[in-house]
Amino acid sequence: MPDFEPSVVAFLCNWCSYAGADLAGTSRLKYPPNVRSIRVMCSGRVDPVFVLDALKEGIDGILVAGCHPGDCHYQSGNYKTNRKIKLIKKLLDELGIESDRVRFEYISASEGQKFADTVTEFVFRLKELGPNPLKEECQ
Amino acid sequence: MSANKTIGAVAVIGGGIAGVQSALDLGDMGFKVYLIEKAPAIGGIMAMLDKTFPTNDCSMCILSPKLVDCSRHQNIEILTLAEMKGVEGEAGNFTVKVHQKARFIDIDICTSCGDCEAVCPIKLPSEFEQGLVMRKAAYKYYAQAIPNAYLIDKEGVPGYRGCIDCDACTKACKAGAIDHSQKARDIELNVGAVILALGTHPFDPSIKKEFGYGRFKNVITSLEFERILSASGPFEGEILRPGDMEHPKKIAWVQCVGSRDRNIDQEFCSSMCCMYTAKEAVIAKEHESDIEPTVFFIDVRSFGKDFDRYIERAKTEHGIRYVRSRISEIYEKDCGDLQLRYEDMEGDLHEETYDMVVLSIGLCMTKDRSKILSDLGLEVNDFGFAYSHQKDPVALVRPGIFMAGSFMEPQAIPESVMQASAASAQVASLLKDSKGSLVEPRPEYPERDVSSEEARIGVFLCHCGINIGSKVDIPSVVEYTKGLDNVVYATENLYTCSEDTQKKLVDIIQEEKLNRVIVAACTPRTHEPHFKKSLAEAGLNPHLLEMTNIREHCSWVHSDGALATEKAKELVSMTVAKSRLLEPIPALKIDVDQTAMVIGGGVAGMTAALSLADQGFKTLLVEREARLGGALNSIHYTVEGIEVQELLKDLSSRAEEHENIDLHIRSNVSNITGYVGNYTVNIMKDGKESEHTIGAIIVASGIKEHIPTSHGYGKDERIVTQLRIEDELSETSSLTEGETFVFIQCVESREGLRNYCSRTCCMGALKNALKIKELNPRAEVYIIYRDLMTYGFWERYYKQAREKGVVFMQYDIDRKPDVEIGEKLTVKVWEPMLQEEIEISADHLVLSTGMDPADGNPELAKQLKVPLNQDGYFLEAHVKLKPVDFSTRGVFLAGSCHAPKFIGESIYQAQAAAARAATILSSPTLEAEPNIAVVDVDMCSGCRTCISLCPYNAIESVTEVIEGVEVTHADINEGLCQGCGTCVAACPSGAIHQRGFRDDQILAMIKALGACSLGGGS
Amino acid sequence: MSEEKLKFAFYWAASCGGCEIAVLDIDEVILDVAAAADILLWPVAMDFKYKDVEAMDDGHIDVCFFNGAIRNSEQEELAHLLRKKSKVMVAFGSCAVTGGIPGLANLSDKKGIFETVYHDNASIENPEGIVPEPSSQVKEGELTIPEFYDTVRTLDQTIEVDYYLPGCPPPTSLILTAVTAIIKGELPPKGSIIAPNKSVCDECRFEKSDKRITEIKRVYEVEKLEDKCLLEQGIICLGPATRGGCDAQCLKANMPCTGCGGPTPNSLDQGGKMISALASILGLDDEEKYNDEQVDALIDKVVDPVGTFYKYGLPSALIKRKVMKE
Repeated sequence: MPDFEPSVVAFLCNWCSYAGADLAGTSRLKYPPNVRSIRVMCSGRVDPVFVLDALKEGIDGILVAGCHPGDCHYQSGNYKTNRKIKLIKKLLDELGIESDRVRFEYISASEGQKFADTVTEFVFRLKELGPNPLKEECQ
Repeated sequence: MSANKTIGAVAVIGGGIAGVQSALDLGDMGFKVYLIEKAPAIGGIMAMLDKTFPTNDCSMCILSPKLVDCSRHQNIEILTLAEMKGVEGEAGNFTVKVHQKARFIDIDICTSCGDCEAVCPIKLPSEFEQGLVMRKAAYKYYAQAIPNAYLIDKEGVPGYRGCIDCDACTKACKAGAIDHSQKARDIELNVGAVILALGTHPFDPSIKKEFGYGRFKNVITSLEFERILSASGPFEGEILRPGDMEHPKKIAWVQCVGSRDRNIDQEFCSSMCCMYTAKEAVIAKEHESDIEPTVFFIDVRSFGKDFDRYIERAKTEHGIRYVRSRISEIYEKDCGDLQLRYEDMEGDLHEETYDMVVLSIGLCMTKDRSKILSDLGLEVNDFGFAYSHQKDPVALVRPGIFMAGSFMEPQAIPESVMQASAASAQVASLLKDSKGSLVEPRPEYPERDVSSEEARIGVFLCHCGINIGSKVDIPSVVEYTKGLDNVVYATENLYTCSEDTQKKLVDIIQEEKLNRVIVAACTPRTHEPHFKKSLAEAGLNPHLLEMTNIREHCSWVHSDGALATEKAKELVSMTVAKSRLLEPIPALKIDVDQTAMVIGGGVAGMTAALSLADQGFKTLLVEREARLGGALNSIHYTVEGIEVQELLKDLSSRAEEHENIDLHIRSNVSNITGYVGNYTVNIMKDGKESEHTIGAIIVASGIKEHIPTSHGYGKDERIVTQLRIEDELSETSSLTEGETFVFIQCVESREGLRNYCSRTCCMGALKNALKIKELNPRAEVYIIYRDLMTYGFWERYYKQAREKGVVFMQYDIDRKPDVEIGEKLTVKVWEPMLQEEIEISADHLVLSTGMDPADGNPELAKQLKVPLNQDGYFLEAHVKLKPVDFSTRGVFLAGSCHAPKFIGESIYQAQAAAARAATILSSPTLEAEPNIAVVDVDMCSGCRTCISLCPYNAIESVTEVIEGVEVTHADINEGLCQGCGTCVAACPSGAIHQRGFRDDQILAMIKALGACSLGGGS
Repeated sequence: MSEEKLKFAFYWAASCGGCEIAVLDIDEVILDVAAAADILLWPVAMDFKYKDVEAMDDGHIDVCFFNGAIRNSEQEELAHLLRKKSKVMVAFGSCAVTGGIPGLANLSDKKGIFETVYHDNASIENPEGIVPEPSSQVKEGELTIPEFYDTVRTLDQTIEVDYYLPGCPPPTSLILTAVTAIIKGELPPKGSIIAPNKSVCDECRFEKSDKRITEIKRVYEVEKLEDKCLLEQGIICLGPATRGGCDAQCLKANMPCTGCGGPTPNSLDQGGKMISALASILGLDDEEKYNDEQVDALIDKVVDPVGTFYKYGLPSALIKRKVMKE
């Protein structure tokens, strides 16, 4: 499907990853416009239910980004989210939904480039995967 | 002090991490603070670092929130491009003269869009990037700079001219922020005290001609390497060598460049280079695993908390090669590779080739800083740094002027932060009668009750000049927005943040009876407080604001205008969805009992208690023993000039007599309940218990000497520990000629389970060695060591000892010295030069065994719900930036219960803890975080999943009777919760909500996006 | 209470029959029920014909207790029919409320299930590859059987439901509460779930302390069960994410909760919330010391996430079924 433009929601922690995305902007780095961010104070706030709900709503990809290990503004929220995302991906595999639609990345406040690269790669991967199979049900 | 009224303002000179910390402490305590920084932005050297040791934290990630706090703090005024030109007056009432250069850009108008930079034709080497790349004459100091504004460089730098007044920027700037006619100004500040936190200067290695810096392109400084490692640095985190932009594989680090060097009059140790080198090598390997780092060093000075384990991991896990040697010379080959020549410990000469060489440069005093010292009439020490006495390390000879950070002595971040807080404590004592006198009360506006109203949302879309508007079709987004449910008003502004638009915003909220406001503009991370203020002014709860970022996350990063417009619409739609569900968040205030308790009556405990008492806070001081003083009781003399017993007498008599100190000796803390501002503690004395209420707690439980089992200890009375030899020497009046003392360092330390350096034992050995030489210069002293930890200015005593004939022999951990007990004690040491074991016949053998944590720590940790590290020392909230705080709000630590340290270090750390505690105690109420988590008691089953997840111990399980039924549920303490939301996500029954980030709000955003992506929304 | 007796109906769709037994488990109260109500329809106990139901006036039945999920056309038809004929429709038991065990069939589809049941099972001999067809021609004429659906649905995904009685089967006490309320005419607002708001932990006898686990264990892997929260012993217990009302019966028998009570009121997805809780506390101690491979190994100890976290609720979860690839 050449015309397919995936929709991506990005849950970004306020202190590192949102700041990293800000830096991508300040540095005028370019990345695909498919991503819309939802700011949370800590990646630890990200509930796997958000991921399931986003897929149910027909969103093609979910990016969750938090501070690097050791950098979490709240000390340890990122470790928990790493585990939550790993387990939810395992669930998705069993449900026949490509777990690559969900991605967890550590992106620091100084990694504007990494944010841009992550989005670019993720959108590319989602194009390979094609539309979220749950999208049909939504329509 | 002549006048009895002091000025409740403070000038903090220098906006590096130390200055920033002082400013925040003092601002929080209620002083007006002028933060004066010479550079165009605050942040200092820490802002340039990529990562920090020993946790490898991203430097900018941890620093940036503090900088932002500074810029938002209502009591702090930041003056950049400003230099102190003189201080007149006396403690309590100074006039500080400041010269501020013109910025040519109005900080209040500049939106940091960079349009001026884009059109500026002038290029100069970037100071922040260490000259590795160019910047424009119209530029921002660094991406996350605070103040977040551009400036125009009209002066240029040597070899490069600045602004040519082409005026292109004036035309490009839609906000009209540029003013080429701006003039420098001279300001006089009336303050009660001054803190000098001027920082230090990286050593310029071109003086050391043998290393070829400046001549060989692939020889760089460690600071340049930090920028190369940084993801936001000149090469975006790719490791390239500047000569040919190739990937270097073999990289050498050369230690002690500009440190411990008699030839260039830099005889001190810069303290942090050993550790940052290990960090740089480790991070380099993490970037590219095929890099082979080699470190050429004299001693590995891993004297700090958890440093030894870091070095060990660098060697074993990351394969960093360490070579003990001095590099004599570096040559450049034709291909740009570098040939290093060195002599190893066995005396053999080697030559090795490297692709790149990093010079681990130290820090040095500069002429301008020296001039400041002499202008202020301050004494300097033998290294040219400001003189201070270890009894009160941050105080300068001129009363009312204090110092902090690496301006005081080259050192790492945590020490700087501690000294900064210590200086704040000193200022707070000095100015206690004028605290709060110059602080404007925060304006309070009556708040409209919107709880029964249906959502009436107003949306303000920002063009940001052309920064958003040139990509995003704002008028079409406005039209789209008007069609969304509950949106009753939508408009566009050229600059939503400008002062006149803010006024308009307030009017519109009132006219249109808006009860929710959305600003679609730039990042909420910098601008949210600005707009929240306007909501408050308009009578709305400020948390009824929601921002969406259509600049950094949209117009600046997408080239296709149509797609960017589409995205902006969807972002607005998502934000409207959340906005409908927003609720007012009450400003929670927690009552604070403005008193404190200090646990432990050693030097740290007494100092902390006295500092708090001097600041006017009633303080309980609890000491287990019958006598105050702790470890001080076993110390007789020092080299650094502290008369220990005199100090002890002074501190203890002051503590006993101080009207604000309630002293409990022979007492234990038997129980602690409560939380920040509201603790109830029970103190047990002679079987009797008393109950007290307090607001903050400082732990200063001290340390003890390790008792060894090796090296014949306990088998012969001539084999003793450091403390014992000190006892003996203090009672000896003379020694016989040729009487031989052998000191073995690192006994049962820095290996195995006790893999940490105790920081003080090398100096202990030197101190006693010098004492022996004083008693009889012809007595013989051998110090057998692994790495001599005479960091910073302690290096001078190493030199003294060598000059006095003390013999130093280095040993490696795999060839430890042996001891044979006979008529004499025979110590056998491997001599690498001779390649044989040599025997020393000794009369005394002294074992430097290091320190062990106090026995009571585990119990105390449990009572306070604070953590210990694996060695049994208390673990602070953050090793770099919160060195005296625990993550549990309201509890602090000081002294050697944190890690082994010297008396002077314990003193400033104790003052720091007192300052941090004072930031809480200074006000009768404490503001809680707005975005806290709240338990829905009707839904909580008391499963306790959340409790162990909270990093702040803010959640506990409580059982209460509700309507006749006993109910067990989680309870979140409003004062302790910091609002991360981890418990909210984890609550298996959805019984916890986070204010401002409720599940329904986030799910509504997802739903809105889902609808848009299916083509339903736009 | 009026003179006239209430009219009850019990129906079973895709279910095991356990719910029927549960009705009998109310013991002697069944006599009160008999005194207060006539049972018009109860296929498990009484003979009936569809046309008898069709003949009733709309709303003739006062309360219909419907158990079982909807997985074929007959069940769907009857659900619609009974809805029309009943004043109050109660989804009775996990299968009707959230999909129940039959809902796990959503991990496959008709084709896959038929292949397993009629071909692949070791005990099957079916050389002609015959599978049930809705219609087949035999010499006597056309034979029809209900159509088997790809996806199992809950009752309220099929018809409008007034009340919900969760549980596999619903606990006697909740049935009593419901029946008593109906008889007394004291029903809660429509749409209510007749069960407490709090999770199973509220009723669980085990002592709870702070939750931090280092590994996951299956029940049989635990050598000696301690007298404390099973989750804290590494056994996956869905109690914290599951609506209570069952008096934590399974826990009384030292078995973990498997989630039949369905999600708690504030939870959008029972399995998702449990995944969040479990992953948060799993490997919590010294979490900073785990490398990524070690975290993977930890998570890999959770086998069959769907079966574990959605044993009774896949059809009502946010993601209701497996996506089948061609």
